[in-house]
Amino acid sequence: MKNFTYYRPKTAEQAVALLDDKWGTTELLAGGTDLLDLQKEYIAQPDKVIALRDVGINQLRLDGVDKKPDDFILGAGMTLAEIAAHGGLKEAFPALTTAAGDIGGPQIRNMGTLGGNLCQRNRCWYFRDEHTPCLLKGGDKCFAIDGENRYHAIFTQGHKCVIVNPSTLAPVLIALRATAEVLGPKGKRKLKLADFFHAPSSASEREHVLKPNELVLTVTIPYPKLKNASYEVRHKQSYDWPLVQAAVAFQYADNKATDVRIVLGHVAPTPHVADAAAKALEGKEVTEATASAAGEAAAQGAMPLSQNAYKVKLVSVAVKRALLTAAGRKKYWEV
Amino acid sequence: MATSWPKKRRLIGTKIQRLDGPVKATGKAKYSYDINRPGMLHAVLLRCPHAHAKIKSLDAADAEKMPGVKAIYAIKKAGEELYWAGEEILGLAADTEEHALDAVRAVKIEYEVLPHIVKEEDALKEDRKTVSPVGGKRDNVLAAKDAADDAFDKGMTDAAVKVEGSYGVPVVCHQCLESHGLVAEWGEDGGLTVWASTQAVWGTAVELARYFAGKYKIDLPAEKVKCITHYMGGGFGSKFGPDIQGLVAAELARTAKAPVKLMLDRASEIVAGGNRPSAYGKVRIGATKDGKITAYEVDCYGTPGVGVTDTVTFNALPYVYPIAYKRKHTRIRTNAAMQRAMRAPNHPQNCTLTEFILDDLAAKLGMDPLQLRLKNLPQNDAEKAKIAPHSLDALKNTIYTREIEIAAALSKWKEKWHPPGKTDGVVKHGIGMALHTWGGQASPQSNECTVTIHADGSVVARTSTQDLGTGQRTVTALVTAEILGLEPGQITLEFGESTFGASTGSGGSTTIPSQSPATLRAATAARDDLFAKVAPKLDAKPEDLIVGVEGKILDKAKNKPWTWKEICARLDKEQAKGTGFWNYGESIKPDNRDVSSSGVGGVQIAEVLVDTETGVVRCTRIVAVQDCGMVVNPLTCESQVAGGVIMGLNYALFEERIMDRATGRMVNPDMEFYKLGGIEDMPQIVVHLHDMPERGVIGVGEPPVISTHAAIGNAIFNAIGARVGQTPFTPERVLAALAAKGGKR
Repeated sequence: MKNFTYYRPKTAEQAVALLDDKWGTTELLAGGTDLLDLQKEYIAQPDKVIALRDVGINQLRLDGVDKKPDDFILGAGMTLAEIAAHGGLKEAFPALTTAAGDIGGPQIRNMGTLGGNLCQRNRCWYFRDEHTPCLLKGGDKCFAIDGENRYHAIFTQGHKCVIVNPSTLAPVLIALRATAEVLGPKGKRKLKLADFFHAPSSASEREHVLKPNELVLTVTIPYPKLKNASYEVRHKQSYDWPLVQAAVAFQYADNKATDVRIVLGHVAPTPHVADAAAKALEGKEVTEATASAAGEAAAQGAMPLSQNAYKVKLVSVAVKRALLTAAGRKKYWEV
Repeated sequence: MATSWPKKRRLIGTKIQRLDGPVKATGKAKYSYDINRPGMLHAVLLRCPHAHAKIKSLDAADAEKMPGVKAIYAIKKAGEELYWAGEEILGLAADTEEHALDAVRAVKIEYEVLPHIVKEEDALKEDRKTVSPVGGKRDNVLAAKDAADDAFDKGMTDAAVKVEGSYGVPVVCHQCLESHGLVAEWGEDGGLTVWASTQAVWGTAVELARYFAGKYKIDLPAEKVKCITHYMGGGFGSKFGPDIQGLVAAELARTAKAPVKLMLDRASEIVAGGNRPSAYGKVRIGATKDGKITAYEVDCYGTPGVGVTDTVTFNALPYVYPIAYKRKHTRIRTNAAMQRAMRAPNHPQNCTLTEFILDDLAAKLGMDPLQLRLKNLPQNDAEKAKIAPHSLDALKNTIYTREIEIAAALSKWKEKWHPPGKTDGVVKHGIGMALHTWGGQASPQSNECTVTIHADGSVVARTSTQDLGTGQRTVTALVTAEILGLEPGQITLEFGESTFGASTGSGGSTTIPSQSPATLRAATAARDDLFAKVAPKLDAKPEDLIVGVEGKILDKAKNKPWTWKEICARLDKEQAKGTGFWNYGESIKPDNRDVSSSGVGGVQIAEVLVDTETGVVRCTRIVAVQDCGMVVNPLTCESQVAGGVIMGLNYALFEERIMDRATGRMVNPDMEFYKLGGIEDMPQIVVHLHDMPERGVIGVGEPPVISTHAAIGNAIFNAIGARVGQTPFTPERVLAALAAKGGKR
């Protein structure tokens, strides 16, 4: 691993000041569950590593007490374990706590952070192989398109690189209309999670839209009492990535779902907002039939690769089950 | 003198906790990975990134100048050809592992990249002759072996019902928790000591001595080369001998004049640490209407990587069941690491090619597959029964029938089995079974054990054999204690060092049937020596002294009891000592029969829940009924069986080496996408040991891994009524099987 200088700034501003304005030479270190692997595997070789543990972004705050439903403001340094175990979050956003609690194993959740989960690099095995010069490492081709792509994107249209975004919190946060607060050299800016992600196709891009010298401070989730849930289809039950994930959120009054948002994870280079599925359910009661129809609609537009057509069906099932879970319907798949 | 087990056994057959449990649980046990020597260097291997290439030039000058680099050892040189991605080119030792990793990346190598084939089906489409020459030929596809039974044609022609199917298992990789490797240190006396993670303590020392004495023409007698393996983190057939990393570490240590640690990293462990070869086959089977199988035909292929060996046990197809056969096997050489022995080599493949089609046949016949199996079991061999009444051949039908009965009762087969696919609901329950067999006899070469009794009453049992995590250490103490009237915890073990006498590698489930009788003999001889030495001082005859109940030594002539300490104190300045050895030759002497033996059956029944919408399979319960002759320690024996079942479950549901066609590289050499079940993926495992003390000790390490995947595969078939023919049984494959069946729930 290339030698690097380790910094441990006391404020987020100091951290930002240490960051270069191009990718690759400086890296932020939060839980380290991704960065250290990338360094050991000679994929990331930064000159400076800037630790975020002392910058004070690991708290959860509640905003707007007494007046309106609370906004939940999550510090980007909160660990996945803290999110998963938080009683208030569990009650308001079971989608989030379920997704956080299903990530990796206890060690990963104890170290991994919210900000890290959103900004982590993808898990494509070609990208992660030091000896395979893929697009994201400056090469001229995506090896997955004609190669081993069973876990890759099924919504591939327009993408030169067919990774899936690895974050399972992202689809949930998008469904919950969350906003990130980001700090850069010119100060803070707000960014909807729906606009946070990006499909990269070169070494000078990441899986998100942050600039190389920006960092995530907080993520704010408004609390308009949405029904919400996240459902993952996984090969292994312990310690595995989802094959597909569906996160859903909607208002539910008089047996009618409105303001429906359905977001898919692990199916595209970015979290995939399934507008057609949301539309299919809008104004309807959540039943097996309507959830099923929404699931079918969610798969619209999928263009699977040579080995991953099975994920198209899984999308429909995951959406259906997430909707039924959110609506508190019987989980017919649990025996 | 005849050797036999005590008729009355106080400890053997009772559950004795692992003696090394506490030191392992607390981290006090030092594994090879934990060994750190003063001035020790860290070595890594540079591996070929290409699946097939020729080295045009190799320049290590820059690497030599890198910080901390102390020694470089070239394994390959310019002009040489490399045949798989991961093949070792050079070893490098530096003061830290990080420096070593950086430095190997500074080695400049120009490759001429050559064509490769890494997938079996690609070789079958076009043999591009991409592998190393064997007998002057580079063919990827080797000439097929075939054989047929005289009764086959008639058996197939006469069959009223015929079924055919395609079944397969991919290459899976060894995933020892502790990777391969060792620490090597040359002493001032010119001797070599290695702390190795090995399944062959004695053999590793012998091989190292032979290699270095031969190569450098140095005087290196066996006693000056010492291999130490006090604790190891698993070995399943891939850790015999020093291996390339052992030789390279010792070479580097020699050059650098410093101890060198070389443990494989996880990626290397998976890519280069050995694998179980694949087997894919078309199988056809014929039977009478009432389920008597009349003929079996298989045409199969598999890849031993760059190796040339069979990927099935050719002469045992069909597996377990004696059926008129026609068999064909094709070996496909690919540009991938050579196969190595893996826990019951080739038996799981044979089990795949036999057990799946039995359930497909049963479905066609409308029969309960358990009944189909009972109907087609091998018979007891009456002739063999006359000469060896406790041999597997003499008892096969009896053993399997009884084991099936036990497994059926423990799994509630009668209540739970239903015709395939005939259940309601989205998540379907299924139950399935499979049978297996294995040898497990004493090793042909001798294993030794020495038991020493001291005047203070302490007892030392000494052997060079290794405990891979199997519980052998505990068993050695248990047998010693049994004979001397002591408790296992009272025995001091000197264990796992090559200077402690001869032993053989732990392969073929041979360790316990080799070691236990050697220990029995050693302890018996030490006891007899003790009695001979102390009897005059006790005014007794040696033959009147016996080990009585509660650890008392009894002078039976006078009916006088002595405590162990009182007896041993009479040794005064002497020791009592006994050495024992055992091997296959000893085990078949008429006088020694039924001390150790060979040949086991085994029946497993698995239950699954299949989510028919997602294709996700969860295995909920496995009943494993296993015989292994006389069970010495039921606790460690049950652990062996449970461990085998877990390994078999991973084979069924998760494991697969995935090779990339374009780069020729394995894409999942990690614990992320080379999937192994975690705690939530584990079923309830019910182990029943079918104890047959009259048969003597038989090894049990390997058999329990063989049939688990087949039982799970049959349970899936039972659940959904569609055959998923290839492992791992992924959601994708389950969905495909359901779709092919017509999407019916």
